[in-house]
Amino acid sequence: MSARTCWSCGSELAAGDALCPSCAKVQPPAPTGAGPDKFALLGLEPSFDEPPGLDEKFRALSRKLHPDRFARATPRERRYSLEQTTLLNDAYKTVKDPVRRAEHLLALRGIKVEPKMSPEFLEQTLEDREKLLEAKMSGEPLDPLAAAVREKRDRTLSQVRELVENGGDLAQAAELLARMRYYARYLDEVEGRPVEI
Amino acid sequence: MPALLQISEPGESRAKEACTTGAVGIDLGTTNSLIAIVLGDGKPHALAVDEGSTLLPSVVHYGEGGGPGSVVVGQAARRLAAEFPRDTIVSVKRFMGRSSADPETRRLSPYRFAEGESGVVRFVVDGARVVNPVEVSAEVLRALRTRAEDRLGIKVNQAVITVPAYFDDAQRQATKEAGRLAGLEVLRLLNEPTAAALAYGLDKRSQGMFAVYDLGGGTFDISILQLQQGVFEVKAVGGDSALGGDDFDRALAEILLDGQERTPRKVREAIDAAKRAKEDLTRVEITEALGRRVTRAQLEAAIAPLIEKTGGSSRRALRDAGVPDGKGLDGVILVGGSTRVRAVRRYVRELFGMEPLADIDPDEVVALGAAVQADLLTSESPQHDVLLLDVAPLSLGLETMGGLVEKLILRNTTIPARATQEFTTFADGQTGMDIHVLQGERELVQDNRSLAKFTLSGIPPLPAGLARVAVTFQVDADGILSVTAREQLTGVSQTITVKPSHGLTDEEIERMLLASIEHAEEDVQARLLIDNRVEAQRILKAAEKQLDSNGDLLSADERRQIEAQMAAVRTAAQGTDHTAIHGEIEKLDRVSADFAKRVMDRGIERALKGHSVGEFDQGELSPHAKKAYEALRED
Repeated sequence: MSARTCWSCGSELAAGDALCPSCAKVQPPAPTGAGPDKFALLGLEPSFDEPPGLDEKFRALSRKLHPDRFARATPRERRYSLEQTTLLNDAYKTVKDPVRRAEHLLALRGIKVEPKMSPEFLEQTLEDREKLLEAKMSGEPLDPLAAAVREKRDRTLSQVRELVENGGDLAQAAELLARMRYYARYLDEVEGRPVEI
Repeated sequence: MPALLQISEPGESRAKEACTTGAVGIDLGTTNSLIAIVLGDGKPHALAVDEGSTLLPSVVHYGEGGGPGSVVVGQAARRLAAEFPRDTIVSVKRFMGRSSADPETRRLSPYRFAEGESGVVRFVVDGARVVNPVEVSAEVLRALRTRAEDRLGIKVNQAVITVPAYFDDAQRQATKEAGRLAGLEVLRLLNEPTAAALAYGLDKRSQGMFAVYDLGGGTFDISILQLQQGVFEVKAVGGDSALGGDDFDRALAEILLDGQERTPRKVREAIDAAKRAKEDLTRVEITEALGRRVTRAQLEAAIAPLIEKTGGSSRRALRDAGVPDGKGLDGVILVGGSTRVRAVRRYVRELFGMEPLADIDPDEVVALGAAVQADLLTSESPQHDVLLLDVAPLSLGLETMGGLVEKLILRNTTIPARATQEFTTFADGQTGMDIHVLQGERELVQDNRSLAKFTLSGIPPLPAGLARVAVTFQVDADGILSVTAREQLTGVSQTITVKPSHGLTDEEIERMLLASIEHAEEDVQARLLIDNRVEAQRILKAAEKQLDSNGDLLSADERRQIEAQMAAVRTAAQGTDHTAIHGEIEKLDRVSADFAKRVMDRGIERALKGHSVGEFDQGELSPHAKKAYEALRED
């Protein structure tokens, strides 16, 4: 990859530079092949758990890059600021959320999480849903069902962590991670019921 | 207001210098509008612009009372309203971004509307003059601007204008347009609760999580914001459309009208008397209305159920923001005239478990916050160094198969934001794809607001499912959406900025939002029904195909049995009971299991003879059949 240079003063830029280190002008997002490293975008190391200082990094970068900071700048700078802030917001959303974060971690290692389930898991999901529907129709309390699925979700996530952190089978980790969507959808359906009076 | 007196003195250059940018904050309200500016003392000040008051009634009178061709704004216009109801436009904000075809438009008012091209609402005033809501709002803004200029002795040419958090694209664009018409560069549209929080957060110089409880005349808004490291983040927004001080007046009017004959005039008088009594009762225990004694206790008993309705959306917003029960909240800010009612304050105190902040005038706080933001955006060295991060108030999505909505950007996502989703063709040789952009929380297209429709054409003709179209949503810092659709193979693409010809009112958006919660259960049922119907069609198609090409594997009796069950699936799919459809599909699966196995065996036999197993078209199979197929392969 050829080195990026500042569009304004021509100084050389490091890969993660959103602002030129010498003239402080906002830069267009660096072209990325397989997709950006969202941890790096926030100036953080990839990690399975929420990186310490995430919120602080996000706020500090927002203060530098947000379009409000460029209200009086040239259209070109305003456009770059919009693009940088859009990427920043997305990176923050990804790194803040445990499941998105884990998916991104796998993506960085070249593993794509596909929504392909084993028949056994699908069968289990169908069963869980049927139970939920029955409970909804008969007016049974949903909390025990939700608690059971929440427990499965947490267990699955810690299995994923085990695999990712200890050099385990990443394909298997991806398959487990794909299940999180099903759990999330299930829990949404439980909570879709109005809870307030 | 000492600071103002200071700057009207000639030679007070310090204050003048500090506001030479002429960037103001404007609260363009339904009932009243205000203008404020940060002065040399570093603080925002609301300017007295109408007969000594900081509140300019958002009322515009055309011609008649002021002479033909004239325009009167504010208190003077309000006084003319009773005599010239059709030439005096009040509460024009309710019409912003609204279509003339909207039945609500006519219900709202006594006005004459211009016929002709649909789209924007147009009023006929002062004889034959035609004005639209953007022009009327521009009159209010122009009055604020020129009166502020007189007051300050400088040019005012840039503004931050506030809008309700739930204003959609059309309403935001209309507000911006009104500003431009009034000779103002609109630096930013700022959500009203965010503005209020800005005024307080900076005033208190505090960090932490704040709730903004905004109870106006007709609407209730709740926002949760966090101020940390000089960044103000909106965490969650919510509200209730049909709830406000006007409902309090009606509840009290009911008491006044008890046992009386109800003519429109009597009702009007009772409501006006109730409003005055309500205001009195914020100060005294007992007052009088229409010759009756009214006590604060009576008022409070009448409005208690109304006040309690704000609890639901407040609790939901707290939960969305991650501070359930208000634990971890650092302050509750009161906005809107209706928060002067004592029972409201008491309720807020109990709901959030703390004394609400009300030391900034609830009528002025929004304009003051807007002035602060204007200063932030224009000063070399703003008086406060803070950044606002706002969110998309409603989810944005696309129509997919079966009339369902696929959400691309979820409600409460920090903006600017972008999301991309890939779609594929569903017919062989399909060369166009309809893109339908929607706003709202519901699962079905028909229950959401349609923002735009367009067609991406020039897709290369390929077998179904091979062409890939990436649809990208980009929302900018003002909350305005643009949509791009791009075919991946050829790079054919199309972009539009969503500019609907008419918009939803905040009430409608809130209503939709609330409905999504109320109807969550209904939506799940509707989705299950559609899913099962699609599933039924798929399995029927697959079965027909197999009967056609492999029917010879069945005895006449077996075939009859399968066909009978297919008919049962077809009948069930015409009904609305999704469990029944599901049940019949499963039966069909069972009845045809043996047939499926024989088809498989034949496929394998052929494969051994050199044909491929792939000829057995998996894509046409239901998940159940697919599972059976996979199980067979493992055998």
